[in-house]
Amino acid sequence: MRAPFRIIFEQRSETPRYLAAFVPLMSVLAALVAGGIFLMASGYSASETYSNMLSDGFLSSRGITDTLGLSTVLICTGLCAAFAFQMNLYNIGGEGQVYLGMLGGAWAGLALGPRLPSVIAVPTVLLIGAAAGALWIFIPAFVRARLGTSEIVSTLLLTYIAASVLNHFVYTPNSYFRAPNVTFPMGRAVSESAQLTPLGGTRMYPTFFIVVALALFLYWVVKRTEFGYRIQVISDSPRAAHYAGVNARRTTMQVMLISGALAGFGGATLIVGEFGKLDQGILLLGYGYAGIVIAALARNNFAAIIVSGILFSGLRVGGDKLQITTETPIHIGVMLQGAILLFALGGEAFRRYRIRAVRIQAVAQ
Amino acid sequence: MNSNIWVLTSADSIAIATTLILAALGALFTERSGVLNLGIEGILLTSAISSFLAADSSGSIWLGLVVGSLVGSLLAGIHAVLSVTLRANQIVSGLALVIFGTGLANFLGKPAEGKTVTTIIEPLTFGPLSDIPVIGPVLFEHDIITYFAFALSIGSAWYLFRTRPGLELRATGDDPATVDAQGLSVAGIRIRYTLFGGLLVGLGGSWLMLAQSAAWHQAATTNGIGWIALALVVFAGWHPVRLIFGALLFGFSLQLPFTLQAEQITFIPSAFTQMLPYLATLIALIAFSRPGSKNLRGAPKALGNPFVRDER
Amino acid sequence: MTNASHEVVKGPHHSGDAAPIALSAHSITKRFPGVLANDSVDFDVRAGEVHTLLGENGAGKSTLAAMLCGLYQPDSGYMLRNGQPISLSSPRAGLQHGIAMVHQHFRLVERFTVAENVVLGSRDLSFTLKRKNIDDKVAAVAESYGLPIDPQAVVGELSVGQRQRVEIVKALYQGAEILLLDEPTAVLVPAEVEKLFENVHAMTAAGKSIVFISHKLGEVVEISDRVTVLRGGRVTGHVSGRGSTDTKELARLMVGRDINLSTQRASHATGHEVLQIRELSLASEGVDILSNISFNVHEGEMVGIAGVAGNGQRELADTIAGLISPTSGTISIGGAMTTDRGPIAARELGLAYVPEDRLGMGLVPSMSILDNLLLTRDRRIVVDRASVRPEANRLIEQFEIKANNADHIARKLSGGNAQKVLLARELSGGRTVTKLLVVCSPTRGLDVGAIETVRRLLDDARSAGQAILLISEDLDEIMSLADRILVLYRGAIVHETPGESAQLATVGAAMAGLKTEGAA
Repeated sequence: MRAPFRIIFEQRSETPRYLAAFVPLMSVLAALVAGGIFLMASGYSASETYSNMLSDGFLSSRGITDTLGLSTVLICTGLCAAFAFQMNLYNIGGEGQVYLGMLGGAWAGLALGPRLPSVIAVPTVLLIGAAAGALWIFIPAFVRARLGTSEIVSTLLLTYIAASVLNHFVYTPNSYFRAPNVTFPMGRAVSESAQLTPLGGTRMYPTFFIVVALALFLYWVVKRTEFGYRIQVISDSPRAAHYAGVNARRTTMQVMLISGALAGFGGATLIVGEFGKLDQGILLLGYGYAGIVIAALARNNFAAIIVSGILFSGLRVGGDKLQITTETPIHIGVMLQGAILLFALGGEAFRRYRIRAVRIQAVAQ
Repeated sequence: MNSNIWVLTSADSIAIATTLILAALGALFTERSGVLNLGIEGILLTSAISSFLAADSSGSIWLGLVVGSLVGSLLAGIHAVLSVTLRANQIVSGLALVIFGTGLANFLGKPAEGKTVTTIIEPLTFGPLSDIPVIGPVLFEHDIITYFAFALSIGSAWYLFRTRPGLELRATGDDPATVDAQGLSVAGIRIRYTLFGGLLVGLGGSWLMLAQSAAWHQAATTNGIGWIALALVVFAGWHPVRLIFGALLFGFSLQLPFTLQAEQITFIPSAFTQMLPYLATLIALIAFSRPGSKNLRGAPKALGNPFVRDER
Repeated sequence: MTNASHEVVKGPHHSGDAAPIALSAHSITKRFPGVLANDSVDFDVRAGEVHTLLGENGAGKSTLAAMLCGLYQPDSGYMLRNGQPISLSSPRAGLQHGIAMVHQHFRLVERFTVAENVVLGSRDLSFTLKRKNIDDKVAAVAESYGLPIDPQAVVGELSVGQRQRVEIVKALYQGAEILLLDEPTAVLVPAEVEKLFENVHAMTAAGKSIVFISHKLGEVVEISDRVTVLRGGRVTGHVSGRGSTDTKELARLMVGRDINLSTQRASHATGHEVLQIRELSLASEGVDILSNISFNVHEGEMVGIAGVAGNGQRELADTIAGLISPTSGTISIGGAMTTDRGPIAARELGLAYVPEDRLGMGLVPSMSILDNLLLTRDRRIVVDRASVRPEANRLIEQFEIKANNADHIARKLSGGNAQKVLLARELSGGRTVTKLLVVCSPTRGLDVGAIETVRRLLDDARSAGQAILLISEDLDEIMSLADRILVLYRGAIVHETPGESAQLATVGAAMAGLKTEGAA
């Protein structure tokens, strides 16, 4: 006998309600503690860093509107990840689909925008952005549905390809998307009719409310419609789906295309909102990857994604301002994202199992 | 066209293949035990910067390689605890590792920006062999890690198919319940090979950093090599020797953009040559899938499934 | 021994008194969440004897066996090996004490060869595998107990009976003195059972102890030196003496009351043809799975398909249900062709299908009973659960499903109740009135009470005029229920007989592929 006790995992037959909210909260806290230790080990002040992040991300009026503004695209990428994840389809190329959404949106804003009034131009940009995101996932979706090709690797590879495509359009001289007469390569601004004005001098745009409504609508779709029922059957039991005559291939295509469209929509909100042009800066922001963390933290619940999206956005906004105001490296924010996800995963175990240590008893008697 | 350039390209393709082989072998050992570790890219990046910092502060490139490998194992340990001990979703855990590793590497890399590696790993010399035109520079002017990576592939095949622990490893990936019934510890085997896999990936990342790129370019240091390595394992049908061919092919596609640039071939847009390795991987990935691809030759049957002993 | 236990000792045949007790377990208790699987159970086995653990599904016999071999650890109680206390922390520890288990679901790696499987986990294996050496050694051990196997054969290509032999050889190779055989006959045809029993005798003659786990009374009486009966986790009786045991008495100890599983085969007139199958063939990757099958099922008739697992039964059922397209041939339901038209078209013509794998295929485990009822029905664009709820509640009552309400999750139902939910949905029709019911292994793994209910429900459906195709590996079930029996062997119908005059020996021989005069 090596150890005097064994760790036993007992499957919980019923998960206590309080654990459902408690576990994600605890994982955020645990990640912050771990991050704090890391900060201190690297010679930064954890309490100062965190209090700055908190006030810059949530507690100041400037901070909270910035947070809500940024959450618009993050909720979209969270929805993108969750929509596919709920059917065990791991679209992790939301990042690339955001680029394409931006590209499609920029094209619509440049080509169609000047000829359309704002009420039509803005929705057009958003829809074409969504369509471009869906287009970018079409090949992974098709080969996944037909041949079973792993969508994990294919969507990811396409993100690298999307980055090259985006760079190409911004950097190539005389590119349609490139601002003319400027030496430094940058995108050309879309027509004014295709841009929204931020709310009352903040960095928050009306698209935030559209995205929140979208999340709630998807929540309803999954819980109440035949489409949502089908998704649940396929994700839980592909054989039962086959048995009941559910067309899994078609549903796989639909779910992946919608997932891509959601990320593309998010990319397009940046065109009608903050950026107003194709901007290679998006390549460094990792909004698509953040969506994976947001979805996992919300356990693929679309309503909860609104909350986890805003929470994350606050961490990002606070982290970004740190970079400006203090010497703390910006990357602590990304690291915290990863750490939160790791802790959330570990926490899942406590939600699903009752974990206890028992002594291995010696021979009784 | 300068034929010398193509000799160099071939030599460099073999060099790049070194990292691919090490990373893919790491993934292969991990997957053969039934654990899917998608975090390769994050591990490569973190071990790359760790090896840089260690080599930079100690002046020893070998210490850099050791530290980088151990860091790789450490990160893989996080995945092992989450996916094997706590039975978390292996896919999400691997992705979390990519995000965490990228952030951590960039955080650690702050002081490394603008510095370069000062010492290099000396290539081995094979006397007259290295002087043979074309073949000499292509095959006989690499450093010891490159030869080690190729030898390790062949050694791994022997280990997997001709030894007792290899037998137990393959059984664990295929049918953990059977291994458990034999009184072997499924969790023990899985954790061990996940750590070992991380060690190899870490070595690959360290070598990439210290022998190839020489300076820290943040995420562009690895630039998706971890993902290509994962796809490589699929093409190779989870067989270590077949990995070599795929690694050479992808090594070439990764090297090509630089060659074309050096040759000043501009009629192909640089965006296209940059995406070539990823495009080639994608096409190969699709070409190698068949309907019902779960039965892919060599794929461990229990890959990605946490093992839970069947207690009622 | 608890006071509640019941002892019947048959004096003259009491065997093995002289042989020492090889392994004994005392006051073993094991609890799983919500279940008391073993309640202070006592058990022992002598060298050179067969001691059977008899009990229904869920009686706790597999749990006890798992503790005897070290797979589980008891919550309390102790074990003695040759009189010395032992504590088994793992199956490996069990093996060190010479105790090995042959599992019901074989623990073999399909891609490995026989020899690789046999030596896997073996302690004396050298670091490098010397294949020739290993093959010879494995063959030698097998030979010495009269169990011929080819060490180089790949396990995935072996028959069920051969795989079982590999499992036994593996245990012997590892030096097992005590072998626990968990329901070894469940997967075998009668001829293979005989062969197994010969092997068991060869092993006991060599001084090995066999713990035989079963719920089949007939074979228990035939093979056992002693029997211990378990019910609800407790020992309800001990019986000694081979061949002299009263099966009625054993049944009563096992179930706790008198039971009657034989149904009355009502001699009723059958109506016109509901299911017509003509020259149906199915091949997959060049392998023939079904070849040239033709038969009909009439209104009010139950046709039984007998056969050993893996002879094409599952594919036949899936093809009729429209889940697989046949290579050639036709299927029609109620006179309308359904070939190649998919599962929904077949259901619209009155098909209902209860697949063998209840929770894997017939039901969605994470969904409620209510949502599972919707699985094979028309669901509209927005699912209207409120309007289905009254019917769900009615079915729960009518089919005596033990559940809190219609929102009970399928995974949390017992095997019997899950089967009742499945039958409730399929028998109550959905898209249309059920005319044809295809049902596979409907009572596998259920306890006697549930078996009685399920068989009664099938009988009622037949009386109501539905055509029923019963596909089962349980020959007794088919013999007692079906009006007509077809035997499927390697994808072809090799024998046909009316249910009333069917002979167990003839049907069993046909299942094993032996030619009979009655061949169709």
